[in-house]
Amino acid sequence: MTRFVLGRLAWMLAILLAVSFIAFAMMRALPGDFAIAAAGSQSVAPEVLAAIRQDLGLDRPLLAQYWGWLGHALLGDLGTSFVTRQPVRAELFDRLAVTFQLTLLAAIISMVMGVATGLAAARMRGAIDWIVRLYNGVMLAVPNYVVATLIVLLFGLYFPQISIFGYTPFLEDPLANIGSLLLPALALALAVSVTISENTRAAVLEVANQDFVMVARAKGLPPGRILRDYLVRNALTPVITATGLKIAALLGGSILVETIFAIPGMGQYLFDSINSRDYPVIQAIVLTAAAIVVVVNTMIDIAYARVDARVQL
Amino acid sequence: MQEEVQKQAFGSRAVKAPRITQGGLLLGIGLAMLAAMLIVTIFAPFIAPFDPSATSPDSLAGASARHWLGTDSIGRDVLSRLIVGGRTTLLITITAVLIALVGGLVLGLLSGYLGGLVDDVIMRVLDVVFAFPVLLLAIAVVAALGPTVPNLILTIAIVYTPAMARVVRAPVLSVKQWDHVEAARSIGMSEFRLVLHHILPLVVSPILVATSLTLSQTIFTVTALSFLGLGPPPPDPNWGGMLSEARQFMELAPLTVIGPAAAIVFATLTFIVLANGLRDVLDVGSV
Repeated sequence: MTRFVLGRLAWMLAILLAVSFIAFAMMRALPGDFAIAAAGSQSVAPEVLAAIRQDLGLDRPLLAQYWGWLGHALLGDLGTSFVTRQPVRAELFDRLAVTFQLTLLAAIISMVMGVATGLAAARMRGAIDWIVRLYNGVMLAVPNYVVATLIVLLFGLYFPQISIFGYTPFLEDPLANIGSLLLPALALALAVSVTISENTRAAVLEVANQDFVMVARAKGLPPGRILRDYLVRNALTPVITATGLKIAALLGGSILVETIFAIPGMGQYLFDSINSRDYPVIQAIVLTAAAIVVVVNTMIDIAYARVDARVQL
Repeated sequence: MQEEVQKQAFGSRAVKAPRITQGGLLLGIGLAMLAAMLIVTIFAPFIAPFDPSATSPDSLAGASARHWLGTDSIGRDVLSRLIVGGRTTLLITITAVLIALVGGLVLGLLSGYLGGLVDDVIMRVLDVVFAFPVLLLAIAVVAALGPTVPNLILTIAIVYTPAMARVVRAPVLSVKQWDHVEAARSIGMSEFRLVLHHILPLVVSPILVATSLTLSQTIFTVTALSFLGLGPPPPDPNWGGMLSEARQFMELAPLTVIGPAAAIVFATLTFIVLANGLRDVLDVGSV
């Protein structure tokens, strides 16, 4: 087990290193001059450009630049925004906190909806099963930004007095904060809940056919107890794992949903910085998002190996 | 023999006799939806009632006999723009997935068949690409290269190649150990021929299913990029761009939003239904 964990962690570090190089190289490989973008204007004197180049270390070899950038990044210095001239880190952390909150809320909503509908479909079968499966089948094809747009349309048409855009910080007003994130979280959660619902349904049906469930039924345990202690317990482990794997999808999806609902999270930050060609910010966001995915995936691998003895160590 | 082989490969149920099953029905519906979509797309200029770029003073009109889905903010016919816009969206989607499929086939066959160091190197490199959320990677690359149709196709192909390579590699790993491969090798067949004639045909089913699923995800990525303003440049319409543009006045003309939304959902649904139908009919386990 220790060997497995150490191996996974070493591999995680290797991937993080490779990911950081890609994030770095991608922005340097851009057509157009990095220094001109940094100056923020096309008509800059050559001497100024040369000074910027020297200042940013652009005259050094690429690998040397990368090591310098990586060293700063490891110490928490993610560079300075071309637009605001402020350090990227502070703003990135603020934005990350908002996106984290949104993702967490979406994960909770999708878990509740997915497990509830999946359980209902598996236990009651018949018409309910049919309705849930049809709903899941269709909802799977509706992208989260379409859901978000349709929610905005519905509120615009029928409840124009309710303001659904923007974001209230948690410390300012906790209730309004949850309220401001509820609709975007719902838009994000619907697609994920469908996957969870299907997984739950399949897992419960599979567990229900196992011998130990038949034994429990034969010895006369009440159905509620069988459901709680036998079915849900055994069926949910793979479901939780699958949900963890959806975090990458939620991070990607939040770009669009945040933009639609004007939520100042990482997604909107990325969108804005791409529009203003703010390369250090783009670089920092790509690096951070990829790092989160790599770390989460590694943790899921390790947790899964701990829970399930069948995973080869 | 082949049935036996397939059962062995994918550990699935007994191969069913061809009859109208639930899977067959799904596949039929999926194929019909795909055919309808392709016919409308290919003959778009003849089917569209109006020039998709022609403006008129009759802006943000509701549904009428003249404009079935109304008009947008500068008086262009929404239905015509949807029909013609499907061309751009589907062209990017399908071309990109085909390129990713070829890339995935080459990498997956190399990796799975050769094994050893080649396998390790290829899989490790793909692991790195996997670390980026698909949409984030696509956004960064398109923002860097510039949003033109060839760049979009290239980006999407790069983003989806690793997944295709994994799908190809897994069954190759088991098929290459079977007796008929050993037999072919022992009579001195060239490796190239061996892979092409004795391994590839046996891994086609999971690849078909995965390709169809990837198509449904690609629709999402392509339209999402356009929605963010990273789609093909105007004035040519595309679904994601139409949805994004229409948001400004959508309370006045809801059809301008519902039209492209329905088109995106229909296209995604087509490929999901197709994938599920294929999975049941070809008797592939979970991919």
